[in-house]
Formats: sequence, C-alpha cells, structure tokens
Amino acid sequence: MKNFKILFYAVVMALCYTADIWADQHPLKTKLVQAVMCESIENFQPVNSGVVFSISSGEVFCFSKFDPVLEKTYVLHQWYKKDKLIFTMRLTLSPPKWSSFSRIQIRDIDKGPWRVEIVNARNTLLQTLRFSMAD
Amino acid sequence: MDALLYFFYGFRWQDVLDILLNSYILFRLYILFRGTNVIRVLILLCILWAVSQAAVPLGLVITNWAKQGIITLAALIIIIVFRNEISFVLRTKNLKSFLWGIPKVQYRTAMNIIVDSVYELAEKKIGAIIVLPFKQGLESVVQEGIPIRGKLSQEMLISIFWPDNPLHDGATIIQDERITSAGVILPLSNRGDLPSYFGTRHRAALGLTEVTDSVVIVISEESGRVSLFKENQSYNSSNRSTLALLLKKYAGDSSVKKRFKHQTIELAAAALISFFCVTGLWFSFSKGMETFATYEVPVEFMNPDQKMEIISSSASSIKLLISGAKPLINSIKSEQINVKLNLSRTTAGVNKISIIKENIFLPPGIRLKKIDPAELDITLDKLVEKEIPIQPHWIGKLPKGLIMKEAEALPRTVIITGGKMMLEKISTIFTEQILLDKITESGTASVGLIVSPASLRLKNNLKIEIRYIIAEKSTP
Repeated sequence: MKNFKILFYAVVMALCYTADIWADQHPLKTKLVQAVMCESIENFQPVNSGVVFSISSGEVFCFSKFDPVLEKTYVLHQWYKKDKLIFTMRLTLSPPKWSSFSRIQIRDIDKGPWRVEIVNARNTLLQTLRFSMAD
Repeated sequence: MDALLYFFYGFRWQDVLDILLNSYILFRLYILFRGTNVIRVLILLCILWAVSQAAVPLGLVITNWAKQGIITLAALIIIIVFRNEISFVLRTKNLKSFLWGIPKVQYRTAMNIIVDSVYELAEKKIGAIIVLPFKQGLESVVQEGIPIRGKLSQEMLISIFWPDNPLHDGATIIQDERITSAGVILPLSNRGDLPSYFGTRHRAALGLTEVTDSVVIVISEESGRVSLFKENQSYNSSNRSTLALLLKKYAGDSSVKKRFKHQTIELAAAALISFFCVTGLWFSFSKGMETFATYEVPVEFMNPDQKMEIISSSASSIKLLISGAKPLINSIKSEQINVKLNLSRTTAGVNKISIIKENIFLPPGIRLKKIDPAELDITLDKLVEKEIPIQPHWIGKLPKGLIMKEAEALPRTVIITGGKMMLEKISTIFTEQILLDKITESGTASVGLIVSPASLRLKNNLKIEIRYIIAEKSTP
C-alpha cells in the first residue's frame, strides 16, 4: 500500500512537470504577430511600411497586430527620439484578435533616429521598431 | 625678542640642512677656484649686483640698466674668459678635491731656497754674502745697493752672485721671502783676531753682526766654505742640514707655521663668510616681506578603484590662497603646488570629499591660508560592459517614390564599456549620419559609430555595415 502511494505521487509529479514544459513551449497568451512603422493605415492594414520617413508626409504610424488575444488587456506604444521618451500611448486589446496603432505628427525638429517600444501590461518588451525621420 | 622669535618661527631641520649644504657647496667652490681670477671676477660681480640693487631705489636708471646687462652676460663672460681655469680645475681635481679635500701646505720655504742656493753657489765656488735682517733695521748701517724687491727664488739668488754680474760683489738682503736689494755695501769689522782665511766678505759679515741682530751667510769664493754669522760669532756649515739647523736656530723658520696659520684663518674666514652669505640668503628668501597669492591648482585623484570611473567632479581645480616671502612666491612653479585627493575609500555614486591641509602640497616656506572650495562632490561609477543595439542615423531625402523598407546593422550590437549609471541611460548606439539623397536601390553602407559621452569605450573599434532594402512606394 505504501509503495502504491509513492508510485501515485511520482506519477502526479511527472504529469505536472510535463504540463509545465508543454505550457512553456506552447503558451496560450496574447501574441504580437506584426509590428511595423508605416506612412498610413488603410482598411486596418499598414501602407508603405519602412524605416525612413519624410517629414513631408506629416505623420508616422506604428501598427501592431495581436493574434490571439485571450483576454481584454492593453499594450503601450512608447515613442523615443534617440534615447529620450517623447510620449506613450496605451492601446486596449480585445479577444479574439486585435490590431491597433499609434501615430505621431512630425515636424522639422523631429528629424533624427527614433524607436517605438511595444510593451505589454506586465511591462515586458515585446518588440522595438527603429526608424528615422528625415527630409 | 618678538622679532627674533618671528625669525625662527617654523624653522625646521630641513632648513638647517639646506643652509649647511649650500654653505658647504659655496665653500667648496671657493676652495676649488681660490687663487684663480674666477673668484676675483665673481667678487666683482657680487659688488656690481649690490650696486645695481642700490641703483633701483636711488633711481639711477642707466646705472641699473648697465649693471643688469653686465650681470646678465656674466655667466657667458665667466665661461668664455675663464674657460682655461675652469677646464684646469675640472681636469686636475679628483673627487676628493671636489667634495672634501683641502690642499695641504706644501710651500717651498724661503729657508729651503736659501740653503739650496747657498750650496749650489758653494759647489761652484762662487762667492756670496746674504743678509737676513731680524728685528733691527739696516738702513743706518749699510749703504743701500740696487733695489730689487723680487720674489726669492733659487735661480734669482744664484744669478745675482754669478761672476761678471754687476751686483755680485755686494751683499744681497732677503726679507720676508723677497730679495729687497743687491750690491749692498756692509760695514767691515775692525777686529784683529780673525782667522787668516777670512776675506772681505767675512769681515763685512762680522761687521754687520757686530752692530745689528742680522744673520749673515758667507760663501768663500776660494774654498767654497759656508759660514754663518750671528751676534759677532761665526759658525761653519759643513753641509745643507747643518746650515738649515743654524738658520732655524738663529733666523727662525716660522714661515711654514705662519703659512699654515694664515691658511687656516683664510679657510675659516671663507667658511664663515659662506655660512653667513647662505644664511642671509635663506632668511631673505623665507622671511622677507610676506606676500599673498592665489593659485588655481588642478585636483589630482589618487588610488582610485580600478573598477570605478570618475564621472564628474563639482570642480576640476581648487583655488589656494597662499602666503610667503615675496622671492619664494615669485619663484613658485605651477608643478610645485599639488592638490591630491585619496579616492581609496570612495564608493559608486556621489562622494563628498573635504579638502584639508594634508591634501595640499606646497614648497617649503609657503603657508596655506584658504582653500576654495573646501569640499568636492565627486561622482564615481562602476565600470561595466553592456551590449547595445546599433541604429542607423539617416539624413537627407530619398528620391521621390522610393521607401526604405528595411535597414539592418551588421553586427546588430556592440559591446560598450563605461560607468554603470551612464550605461543604464543608453539603450542605442547611433551610427554616423548616412546620406539618403543618392540612394536609389538596395545596397550597403559602411559607417562608424558615434559613442557619446567620451568616457564610454567601444570594446572593438568597429566599422559597421548597414544593409538596406529600397522599394517603390505603393500609391493609395
């Protein structure tokens, strides 16, 4: 009887361990599937995505697409010029999948290297998009 | 009393050593160059310097100008004019002579010269009569001959008595190592009990010793016999040593002692003068009119932790108000004043360090009055390495209708070494500016990196390659 109990506990522990590994390898969580900088958004799709944008275009968009979205949550788009945080936009995500974007109007003084960091609600950096604003 | 106390206030053992050492150097220079013209010219220059110093307060413009010119050229003049003397001293003196040796008295005394001359004359059977006056004068007794006043030497004495020399018949008088006169006629003795071999010279010698306390040496022309006369007595001298003994006994050979005494006094005087000159100089430098001065001195940081880096300091230099004698203040060189701060007990972050007297290093005789600022804020940071992504810095404008779809730096990251706090603020390293205007298709560009601030260091000084993809814009 005692040996049976030990065997039972061992099987339960092995199953739990295996489940943990499986969960790590196949996480069921909100996933960022696309993130680009672009000149505009049309029909919920980015137009003219790139890494250099002219100030003559007037604005720049950061497009991000999440699939799946398991629960209602949010992400942050943090816009940096060089290493200085210029502004942060909070974007709500809703299940089952969601696309969202932030944008910035650009002027002559904004020329230079920029980056946008996409951060989830747990403050985990999901992706960094690097681009430049030029003439 | 107060003035005396002020003079000796702060007198250290180093000052005593300073004075004694320089006095000894001055004394040694005197020993080395005494008897040469260098010493005389140096004394003359000292007098000129004193005159020029006096000329300033008196307002003697031209005198001062001329003296200064001469003194300025003095070093050159001394080296050029006295190159032979200086060269002789340097070549002939050994280490002992330079450092501690004092030349011994090795004069050839007048008595030696007289004895040697007398026996050379005797060997050649040349008649001679030499008078060595003692205390009583001869002026009233002898008929003055020919004044010579020449320095006594063996050659001179022999040449006077050389046959056919116009002076050889008379007596020669020697006083204080000088031949004062020759051809002197002496009074003859009237005694009738003289030996038969006594000639005129013997009679004259006897005649002089009858009336004076002189010593007279006679060399017989016929036999070469040497006789010494003193106080109406005659003494035969068979050899040099006998004559030397007789001379020592009756004429007294005090010249060696005199010279030794003279030299001792001379050296003692030179030593004392050297000591007083250097002491005077020292006091004029260190206890002269007190002057204040402000120096701005850069701070030196000592013993920093090798794993730390100084990020900033609230001041890089310190203003020091110092005081001291004007000559000392004027002679200070910037490298003689140091401010050294010990960083061995500092930690990462901002450290407040007080600057105290122990951190300030001043030349002797200079006093510290004020430190400004008295405290420094020094920021230290721990040195770490960080891998940082590279981002291209594009400028200019792409040709119309084109868009840069992607740009990738190869390598994508670089390792930067720098202060931990500094690196925490840096998340991207940017390239040099890359011009877009001439880009029409996909390609690569080789660029350098801009690492700022300068305290950051690239682990490898890399040239970065940027690969970019150009596409045509989609029209809406």
